[in-house]
Amino acid sequence: MKQIIVPGEVVSQSQARMDNAYVENGKTYSKVMGLYDEEHKSVIPLEGPWKPRIDDAVIGIVSEEKNKVYEVDLGFFGRTLLIVGKFDRESYKVGDIIEATIKDIEDRKTIILTRARPLEGGTVLAVKPAKVARVIGKANTMVKQISEAAKTYIIVGMNGMIWMRGGNIALATEAIRKIEAEAHISGLTERIRLMLEQNKGS
Amino acid sequence: MEAIDVVKTNYVKELLAKKAREDMRQFMDFRKIGIVTGLMHNAEGSAQVDLGNTRVLCGVKLIVEEPMKDTPNQGNMMVAAELLPLASADYETGPPSPEAIELARVVDRGIRAANSIDLKSLFIEEGKVWSVFIDLYVLNYDGNLFDACTLAAMAALMTTKVPKVEDGEANREDRTQPLKLDSIVTSTTFGKVGGSILLDLDRNEENASDGRITIAIDDANIRAMQKGLRGGFTKDEVEMLLDIAFQKRAELKRALDQAAR
Amino acid sequence: MGSSENKPELVINGKRTDGRDFDEMRPFSIKANVLKNADGSCYVEWGNNRILAAVYGPKEVMPRHMMEPDRAIIKCRYAMAPFSSLSDHGRTGPNRRAIEISKVIKEVFENVVVLREYPASEIDIFIEVLQGDGGTRAAGITAAAVALANAGIQMRDLPYAISVGRIGEHIAIDFNMIEDNYSDSDMPMAIAPRNGEILLLQMDGGLDRAQVSKALQMAIDAGKVISKAQSDALREVYGNAAGV
Repeated sequence: MKQIIVPGEVVSQSQARMDNAYVENGKTYSKVMGLYDEEHKSVIPLEGPWKPRIDDAVIGIVSEEKNKVYEVDLGFFGRTLLIVGKFDRESYKVGDIIEATIKDIEDRKTIILTRARPLEGGTVLAVKPAKVARVIGKANTMVKQISEAAKTYIIVGMNGMIWMRGGNIALATEAIRKIEAEAHISGLTERIRLMLEQNKGS
Repeated sequence: MEAIDVVKTNYVKELLAKKAREDMRQFMDFRKIGIVTGLMHNAEGSAQVDLGNTRVLCGVKLIVEEPMKDTPNQGNMMVAAELLPLASADYETGPPSPEAIELARVVDRGIRAANSIDLKSLFIEEGKVWSVFIDLYVLNYDGNLFDACTLAAMAALMTTKVPKVEDGEANREDRTQPLKLDSIVTSTTFGKVGGSILLDLDRNEENASDGRITIAIDDANIRAMQKGLRGGFTKDEVEMLLDIAFQKRAELKRALDQAAR
Repeated sequence: MGSSENKPELVINGKRTDGRDFDEMRPFSIKANVLKNADGSCYVEWGNNRILAAVYGPKEVMPRHMMEPDRAIIKCRYAMAPFSSLSDHGRTGPNRRAIEISKVIKEVFENVVVLREYPASEIDIFIEVLQGDGGTRAAGITAAAVALANAGIQMRDLPYAISVGRIGEHIAIDFNMIEDNYSDSDMPMAIAPRNGEILLLQMDGGLDRAQVSKALQMAIDAGKVISKAQSDALREVYGNAAGV
């Protein structure tokens, strides 16, 4: 059973160590708008900015270039840099969409990317980072389902940017927006399946 | 422009090459129009307009003032627009930007040129007239503020009540007299993206566009036009857009009439 | 406090001008997540007040020299719409009063937001008073707290605010515009409900020692109802549904 909680709300009458919560005077309080998972004793944010982690696969857009050091927009408040090494021949221009992996995070505010590759054409949809896990689904089931129904090539970045190319992008977008809005309500996979089925013809 | 806007701009252009828009609209379609009036009771008139995801609130205040020297027998009207910082990450706090000033002046011109407000009816007594302040508050920006603002201003004016005057002062407890309007102005704004001309551009389309034209009309006449941005329009294009402006009037007027009822 | 000349009667047959008891708040409603572009937003109707709050961030600090390497900075704009008042037409943008209010509101949220969670960033809070009828800063703070939570910003608590004060010999809560103008003392407060800390306190007019105590307690007692409405509004965004 999961329960919706607001910042400052008590999640445990005793001291409990968990993310997105804090302890004061022997009690544990939520720091976020989120769900409290009684079973796993964890606080899951329902909203909020993305927290980058090393090895996260992200989608970004090149926003600046200086001597083969590229600034990349990941929708993150800090800086994101892609330093192209000697052996990479790749060069980018502003507005290029890339897929990359986080190599390092300095002082929690500068992200260093590696293993970048350009994504040709298509568009980018930004979703709330807190909903990314639901868009992907368990073992990629959700994104696969959308991709097949819309015949769209989709790559989901952990930062909330989603790249899409080909097929019925409008339908894929609608499905993803629906997930974003209803991520916390059970039976999501089935609802999305029905929605995709109904719209397949259009 | 943010890096993501470069992507969105390219995508808009890519779709237009295939004669498509991101939300599957036809080129000359408006987005869904929603109008609610009478939300703000302190104002003499108010309306909130949703044009797709663009949201504008208009408040109308009537204040007893001295008339202008050259028009001693009629009231005044003023339009101001604010691109509030809460409406978009791109908007900043500070004095009105040139964009906000242009927006307000274009809306003002349409209403003024159509003699929409009967300014003579706003004469109170020697040296006293009503001034009509029309304030446009942009709450959420997703393109085409011109048409959204004109809709909001008209809907607010259509539901504005003039306070009773007692001993030369406004009695705002008694606001039953509707503001006298002689005509309803509608505004239709087109944008040029590459070779395509679209109606009612959203934010991504506006970022991709290089020419804009706003046409404000009443039942029979064109009352104001404003071309904006770098790109130009041919005479034929303008003629075509004028025809479309008149075709679209029924839809806009219906939305206004429903909201003002 | 208004001039004593032409002062209207604020108490009629033991009730206030709008028929309320002295410890009775106006009816209010809170709705979260009302704007599409903002990261978080909230609309509050409090009596005749109509207030919109929105939050953007964490985002890049502008201008850059304001950046704090180890924490977020908060910027706050409180402003009244030119059409927000019944009798006047105001100027657009913040005046001196609004600038002061913006500052004290910013300080409220610097207390509860976990600033160190967002190093070298900026969080913007916008409060637009669309219609004002007394107590706009309090309603604005109540709305901004909800907007911050709706944006997913980490906070130790969800503050609320309310104004208390004195009408003649009566300590009263939640002044409307007429009471705001003519009461004997007005004391807007913001409170962190979890630990009862007062995060904003302003006061003018006159109160004796006992009256201050009574007024403070009245503001604290009001917290239960306001806090519940705030969290209900936040839960309502998710249709109150729980369980995934």
